[in-house]
Amino acid sequence: MQFIGAGSLGVAGGVLYGESVQKDVELLIPQVVPPEDYSPGVASWYNTVCNQCSAGCGISVRIREGKAKKIEGNPVHPVSQGRLCARGQAGLNVLYNPDRIRSPLQNATSRESGSFTEISWDEALTTIGSRIGRLRIEGNASRVRLLTGSTRGGLDELFAQFMSLLGSDHYQQYDFTDPGALRAANRIAFGMDQLPHYDIKHADYLLSFGADYLATWLSPVHYSLAYGHLRQGRDGQRGRTVQIEPRMSLSGAAADEWIAARPGTEGLLALGLAHELLRAGSYTGSDRDEWASALQPYSPAMVAAETDVSVDTIVRIAREFAESTASLAIAGGATAAGTNAVASVVAVNALNYLAGNLNQPGGIFFNPDPAFSAAAGSRQVGMQGMLDLAEAMEAGDVEVLIVHDSNPVHALPENVRFRQAMENVPLVVALSSFHDETTDMADLILPTNTYLESWGDDVPDPGVGFPVASISQPVVAPLYDTLPVGDIVLALARRIGGELPIRMPWGTMEEFIKARWRDEYDGRTAGLEGQDFDAFWQASLEAGVWGQPGIVAGDPSMPSSAAMIAALANPVSEFAGDESDYPFVLHPYLTATFLDGRGANLPWLQELPDPMTSVVYGSWAELNPATAEDLGIREGDVLEVETPAGSVSVPALIFPALRPGVVAMPIGQGHTAYGRYARNRGANPMDLVSMQIDDRSGDLAWAATRARVRNTGERLQIIKTDGVTRTLGRQILGPKNDHA
Amino acid sequence: MKWGNDLSTFVEKFRQYLKPGYYDEFDYHWTMTIDLDRCTGCEACVVACQAENNLPIVGEKRYAQNREIKWIRIERYWEGEYPDVKMGFIPMLCQHCDAAPCEIACPVFATYHNQDGLNTQIYNRCIGTRTCAVYCPYEVRYFNWFTYTWDEPLEQQLNPDVTVREKGVMEKCTFCIQRIRLAKDNAKDDDRRRVRDGEVVPACVQSCPTEAMAFGDSNDPEAKVSKMMKNPRGYTVLEELNTTPSIVYLKKAHAES
Ligand code: SF4
Ligand code: SF4
Ligand code: SF4
Repeated sequence: MQFIGAGSLGVAGGVLYGESVQKDVELLIPQVVPPEDYSPGVASWYNTVCNQCSAGCGISVRIREGKAKKIEGNPVHPVSQGRLCARGQAGLNVLYNPDRIRSPLQNATSRESGSFTEISWDEALTTIGSRIGRLRIEGNASRVRLLTGSTRGGLDELFAQFMSLLGSDHYQQYDFTDPGALRAANRIAFGMDQLPHYDIKHADYLLSFGADYLATWLSPVHYSLAYGHLRQGRDGQRGRTVQIEPRMSLSGAAADEWIAARPGTEGLLALGLAHELLRAGSYTGSDRDEWASALQPYSPAMVAAETDVSVDTIVRIAREFAESTASLAIAGGATAAGTNAVASVVAVNALNYLAGNLNQPGGIFFNPDPAFSAAAGSRQVGMQGMLDLAEAMEAGDVEVLIVHDSNPVHALPENVRFRQAMENVPLVVALSSFHDETTDMADLILPTNTYLESWGDDVPDPGVGFPVASISQPVVAPLYDTLPVGDIVLALARRIGGELPIRMPWGTMEEFIKARWRDEYDGRTAGLEGQDFDAFWQASLEAGVWGQPGIVAGDPSMPSSAAMIAALANPVSEFAGDESDYPFVLHPYLTATFLDGRGANLPWLQELPDPMTSVVYGSWAELNPATAEDLGIREGDVLEVETPAGSVSVPALIFPALRPGVVAMPIGQGHTAYGRYARNRGANPMDLVSMQIDDRSGDLAWAATRARVRNTGERLQIIKTDGVTRTLGRQILGPKNDHA
Repeated sequence: MKWGNDLSTFVEKFRQYLKPGYYDEFDYHWTMTIDLDRCTGCEACVVACQAENNLPIVGEKRYAQNREIKWIRIERYWEGEYPDVKMGFIPMLCQHCDAAPCEIACPVFATYHNQDGLNTQIYNRCIGTRTCAVYCPYEVRYFNWFTYTWDEPLEQQLNPDVTVREKGVMEKCTFCIQRIRLAKDNAKDDDRRRVRDGEVVPACVQSCPTEAMAFGDSNDPEAKVSKMMKNPRGYTVLEELNTTPSIVYLKKAHAES
């Protein structure tokens, strides 16, 4: 048994100081009798898990005098390896956010009013418990619905047990950033739900179809580390990257080559590359003929005409991809958000298959069975599931809706009418730390501890090629009259009664997590000889993570190509809106700072210049310089961007690396609630997205809407730090004589 | 007033500064290298510095007036036009110039060179003339036009090892001097005369997800940073100004095609 560096940190892990911290926040040193591991002026570090996106980076939090001062990556955690992104660093703004909900609240008057009055925990839990309890006894438990974001690990398990003991099979998750198309395509191509391990680190040719792996795709810190290594981690060998996307992302800026194919045709380009790869004879597998006939229509000439990428480029990239020892193709972003999303990702998977990149260093590794039999992403319902939920609510089939860590009112396109549907639900309960748009529609708000005040555990997805599980522990005592989500679930179970409290006997989330780890320990004897559970638990808790690097996927056999071949067809995305009415393609994109908008309430992120544009505090619509000139649009002109779904007004920004005919907008701003830093700032491009679904994944095709822009004649200052963005011969980026 | 005397001391001192080798005699010569072939412009370093060094949240209005304070920032430079357009990022922070133009300018010696080769700023000596900011060719000095406050309870996050600055003083990157101090203290507690390579990790360097930055004592030929500095891609920004920066950038490499 090999621990990942347990104890190698030289930091104290684990147990927290007494509850007395809670009220005496005024005192410099909060404890009357300080606990033993506490000395004023000396920092201690506690390991836990970041919750700012779904990557599951391990973090270390620096604590002084009972307060959290700094978050850094946990050096022994295999996902983050000591590093962290901007969002992870800003986690302290979540904990100490002035707009946190500090006690249980009850809607004072109407849903829309947004005014709340304080109530006691007891009253709130009794109200909810008795209502749900009654539904259970009446056999109407299916009228209780639970919606969460990307809840994983112990909390997910707890929610699942709660709902199934209740007798409702309506526990669902919706996270805009969940890679639904990627999961669906991997299921087709590789027959697995778990995301594989993309070994960017050892690749020497990385071809990314829209995946902004350095900022927003799956596991940005892990891939950034890998990217650093790909570039300069190996003596005399520098990996190359090529990025295909209509608007240059951070990963596009880093790439050696950026190709703005016609939006929606990226999958077709992958097929063209596959065709060329096969034609050149690089692939010699026994199913070569099947592939050849399936790919036969996608000649470089045909693909070039459709994608607006030259035949020469297609032929060259196909050659480079095939000839590289370790090539890798990945897909995400807009490529995985057309009406053809799944087909496009299958096409990219096919490229990997044909270039022999599966189970190869620098290619794609399948993860072994995860710890805790975690069923990754299995509760994500996608847009279709949310439409079904909204419909059920509209039809009056939902009596109690519990929402946690998901903000459908902001994240879903306006035409889902989720807010309106909520009106038909007699009791909406929000388990939340902030007044976001959805929380504000609740009848009862149960304020939750932030992740830095909670117990939990997590199995990262994508994994790192071997089984890994992380532990979350509270690093500070709760600031307010809030409870950990898990404790709320357990308390509700007790109020509801029946089987629930018997089958869910744990008093707190901490007890539950420890019991879970004991089960996992008992079931996983291999390699654990000579270590009793307490030692195992203590070591895991201190390290913040447990893993078994020796274990790899048991059966690395090649997936069958038949399913992939059958799913190759139909690779061009269909756009909502007629080209003559709506000449532009709308390209919404996730931002490095706010992701899908969850970071917008954090002042450090609002004040962080957007990495590609340097804009702070607002949103904007990007146009190609030539397009803008043709239309007589300057930076700061307020544009009305209109699509068949709606319209918003935002200032124009001229962006040099954007395909003409595309209007790009950052996702994340445009909140109507969510605290002082987020509220009434910029526009939400989701208001512009037409409801189109890729049937194969049930996910929203959010990059498949056409738009038109109109200059309103008004002006709005875009706040940004960049002045002159040309070096003007100053050689700031290095002398021109090239040593490299 | 004995202006003559004072001036001659000043000039003498300045001459001494210019003596070749003067800075090599320092105990440590803290130096940073930043590999632009790794840097992706992700700005993790920017937030890390904000968290570590108690940088204020200035608010939208002040931001619009260019009053932001970011000791490290990412500069963006475009090259070419669509479709052959490229973007280059460069993290810009105080270069801790050995021949620092800002130091000559300060009338009260609030900014000076310390024994470790750092360009330091003494907040309670600074009278806010802002001359140093004008002299700094890298534009990395930030002035406190206001006394900033934190919306309660954000102030609980403030790092107790770092001063919170007030209206009227200049500030800039310190190379995380509090972390240097801590490492020196630890070395002393361990009966070591010198800090080991890798013991001082400034917040920005620590966070960088691509491991683009290295930090250490360039007087130690074995230090990682000394090795990085020898990379043929190494250069200093605005070299022609002879400021002798303590930050060596490694230029972005290009794909051989
Ligand atoms: S954290 Fe590293 S990669 Fe990111 S901008 Fe800073 S130096 Fe560059
Ligand atoms: S970079 Fe500017 S502030 Fe820093 S030492 Fe040089 S001149 Fe002074
Ligand atoms: S060295 Fe420290 S003070 Fe300077 S930019 Fe980095 S984090 Fe900020």
